Amino acid sequence: MRPRQRSILRLTQPAPVTMQLGRKHRPDYWLAIWCAILLVIGLVVIYSISPALALTSNVSSSYYVIKQVIAITLSIVAFFITAKIPLTTWRRAYKPLFAIAALATLLALALPVNPLYPAHRWVRLGSFSFESIELVKFSVLIWVAGFLAERIKKGSITDFRQTFQPLLIALFFLGIVIAGVQSDLGSTGVLVIMMGTMAFVAGLPMKRILLIAAAVLIGLILAISAFPYRRARLETFLHPDSNCQGSGYQACQSLISVGSGGLVGLGLGNSVQAYGYEPEAANDSIFAIYSEKFGFVGAIILIMILAFFFTRMKNIAERLPDDFSRLIVVGVLSWFATQALINIGGMIGLLPLKGITLPFISYGGTSVVFSAAAVGLVFQASQYTTLKPLSTDRGQEDSRQQRNFRHNTLRRANY
Amino acid sequence: MWDKPGLAQSIQRVRIWYGALVAVLVIFGVRLFYVQVIEYSHYEAAALSDQLKEYQIPSTRGLIEAYDGNNVVPLVLNQELYTLYADPPLIKNANKVAAKLSQVVGGSASQYASLMHRPNTQYVVLANKITAAQSNKILSFQFPGINTQGQDYRVYPDGSLASQVLGFVNNSGVGEYGIEQALNKELAGKPGRVKAVTDTAGVPLAANKNNIESQPINGDNIVTTLNLPMQEQMEKILKNEYKATKSQGLSAIIMDPYNGQIDAMANYPTYNPSNYENVTNAALFQNAAIDNPIEPGSSMKTLTTPAALNLGAIQPNESFYDPAHWVIDGFNITDIKQDGGAREQNIASILALSLNTGATWMLMQMSHPGGTQITQSGINKWHDYMVNHFHLGQPTGIQQGYESAGFVPPDNPNDPSIDLRFANTAFGQGVQLTALQLITALSSVINGGTYYQPTLVSKVITPSGQVIPYKPKVLIRNTVKPSIAGELEPLMENVVKTYLHEGFSFMNFPSNYIVGGKTGTAQIAKPNGGGYYNNLFNGTYIGFVGGDRPQYLIVVYNIKPGVPGYAGSYGGQPVFADLAHMLINDSYVTPKTTQ
Repeated sequence: MRPRQRSILRLTQPAPVTMQLGRKHRPDYWLAIWCAILLVIGLVVIYSISPALALTSNVSSSYYVIKQVIAITLSIVAFFITAKIPLTTWRRAYKPLFAIAALATLLALALPVNPLYPAHRWVRLGSFSFESIELVKFSVLIWVAGFLAERIKKGSITDFRQTFQPLLIALFFLGIVIAGVQSDLGSTGVLVIMMGTMAFVAGLPMKRILLIAAAVLIGLILAISAFPYRRARLETFLHPDSNCQGSGYQACQSLISVGSGGLVGLGLGNSVQAYGYEPEAANDSIFAIYSEKFGFVGAIILIMILAFFFTRMKNIAERLPDDFSRLIVVGVLSWFATQALINIGGMIGLLPLKGITLPFISYGGTSVVFSAAAVGLVFQASQYTTLKPLSTDRGQEDSRQQRNFRHNTLRRANY
Repeated sequence: MWDKPGLAQSIQRVRIWYGALVAVLVIFGVRLFYVQVIEYSHYEAAALSDQLKEYQIPSTRGLIEAYDGNNVVPLVLNQELYTLYADPPLIKNANKVAAKLSQVVGGSASQYASLMHRPNTQYVVLANKITAAQSNKILSFQFPGINTQGQDYRVYPDGSLASQVLGFVNNSGVGEYGIEQALNKELAGKPGRVKAVTDTAGVPLAANKNNIESQPINGDNIVTTLNLPMQEQMEKILKNEYKATKSQGLSAIIMDPYNGQIDAMANYPTYNPSNYENVTNAALFQNAAIDNPIEPGSSMKTLTTPAALNLGAIQPNESFYDPAHWVIDGFNITDIKQDGGAREQNIASILALSLNTGATWMLMQMSHPGGTQITQSGINKWHDYMVNHFHLGQPTGIQQGYESAGFVPPDNPNDPSIDLRFANTAFGQGVQLTALQLITALSSVINGGTYYQPTLVSKVITPSGQVIPYKPKVLIRNTVKPSIAGELEPLMENVVKTYLHEGFSFMNFPSNYIVGGKTGTAQIAKPNGGGYYNNLFNGTYIGFVGGDRPQYLIVVYNIKPGVPGYAGSYGGQPVFADLAHMLINDSYVTPKTTQ
């Protein structure tokens, strides 16, 4: 009963949020530059396959490009909003964010679905459509970071009831709604790994993390065995060539797209697979189409760009003395990295296929806008980093000294 | 202090996590190298096997036409109909689609739905021969995985007219029987070929190094030699006589002996090629006039006589003593027609009374003039005439599918009964001729000695409109001397007059026309050997109609007519008479210029 009382207390008398932010300096512009490069790559691929998309989905050839340009414009706005509004404000705003996310999810479940995409994942209002899961990811990110930072501060990060129970309950509800009702196993995976990574970095004992992993694994097995189409997908993944005309169609076509690109690819204007062979060519399968166009060389360049982008975030994370902002950065990093790995892994036959976007590259407004919003948070945090990566040597340096960032923060952090 | 290990541990865990991420990315890079570089050719082949599609651009099949007076009218037209097919893996909501389809083209919706669920295939035919309007309606629904494909089907404006001469085109677009089979290559043309990288709907994508394209070459139009009104009349006559003579199969040909062109050729019973699929008796597809050789009987004497005359073995006005029977190889050869036993006969009476002993005597004269023995040299001469002069025992090469070669026995001197065998051939037994072989051989005598390959083709019109007239093809020159025609014609006219005097009033023809002929009452060999049936005969007739000279040759084969009397006289002769009267009455024949 004690934790419950505490949480009621917290609700009625919100404790002032204090953050150990150092002297503000120039943000990490490279973060934004890598983002922009990824967005441009995505836009170029979408533009080049627009004629094919227009043919297969019966829309004008500029339809997808225009929608993506609008999404990118909105994402710039979102980026500035999250970069400008102080992290402390975001940390406090998790409740209204959750409320909106819950409302959006309920709307997605209640509103009629598009017959082509029968899952209840979209909120559709006229020509506007919105994927509720992206808002859920964003709110979970902020809540978990704040929650864990507070537990660190209170010294109860290793406490089962204080830290584990709320996380497990949250996981359980997210699992029921997203994996169960919305049958979005991919996004559930992203959420689980994001939360797990944040908990791992926050210092939860490994034993407990492994416990959660075991629980998640059991949930995953249940989720797969309960739905025949998931069993079929797993079967397809294990034996990709056995059913290329049936349930394995997309897996086979993705491998064909990637493989037929060869060393240097067919060239920007020459994708054949986008002409109806590769399902979701602009969306979930954009990496396969990109690889068909630009070959092994292009695919490696893209993976390296992603790696630079991730490294940037990791460098920021290891220079942030403040727990909340570090957890935010780690959360965003694991969010994007997990999506990228699940997406690309599916395309190259290393993982089962999941309907999940490649951040910033895939077509899709909601994904682009919320990814940009998340990067905005990291961008803001990058203004408060220390000069050098914080030491991990427990014995030699005084960590209180490290926390005293006023002494070691310069106008510009050196990554 | 809680924060000392906490912060350090946190940073360390960031690095551990990052290290794992980098490791996975490296694995991805290795996997990409494997898929894109090492296994490239495998995936390229897989991609092309999906993307590279080969199509035929169908060529339009040529028409078959015929003369109606001076006009050329089509006997066969094309109509584009459509095949409705499904690509099962692409179908969404099969039951709804099937219901819609059955609304448009009829048929059972549940059957369509079950076809759409067929596994492991990307092509299932749902319906054949749907119209263009139905096809357009279906395509307007834009169901994924449902498509139609146009194909030309044959249409027969004259129903069953000349059907066995024409043949038909099967559902694969290949001609079967008749002209459709024999000239399939010319009629079909050459389909164009497109090999192209396409989208999933099969639309070729812009220039690709793997694309190949060739345009279709349409088929030629064939103008036949058939005279349509004459053909119609002939078919009407055959139908009537089939009933009147209680026949089991009736064939006739009218030929122009001076170029081998066939003006009319028909059989009864026949069929309607527009629903050939419902014909259960495949024998109906056959053009019996060219593919059913029989022993012609005494009609053969119209070939034995000119051969003997041409060899100088006999003279047209020669007399000889007929003993009424010859014993050859221990067998009696007697006349079917018992005309008073042994007595003096002549060449004219051999034909008029149809003396088998007379025909045998001719073979004896070929062996040794004035003799009464059959020798190997006589047999060799007669065999040479049958095979090398009259082109028997081999197909004529007319533009028809499944033409038969007929049969001429080999002149093998070691055959113990070769004398009897060849004595039989002299009056048309033990030798098999199609109606076409008989009429073409006699044509070569009547026209003065030229064996023209019989033809049904008068002109070929190429797709570009170029008209190529068919040139009569001479297969054999000097089958007999030109003078032989003038010696044989009066003998055959005499046969007609003899029958008229005997009371066959239908053999009465206007005096400003010449009509000659010869009956044949042929014994039918039992299928498993062991001699001939006693009570079954085929009736044949070969003859000509003309004015100053024979203008048309007519042959009639009547299979097992059921009327009493000699099959040639009562089964073949009346059909010939009908056809000859028709030719005269319908003014096809130019009458004599001088009486």
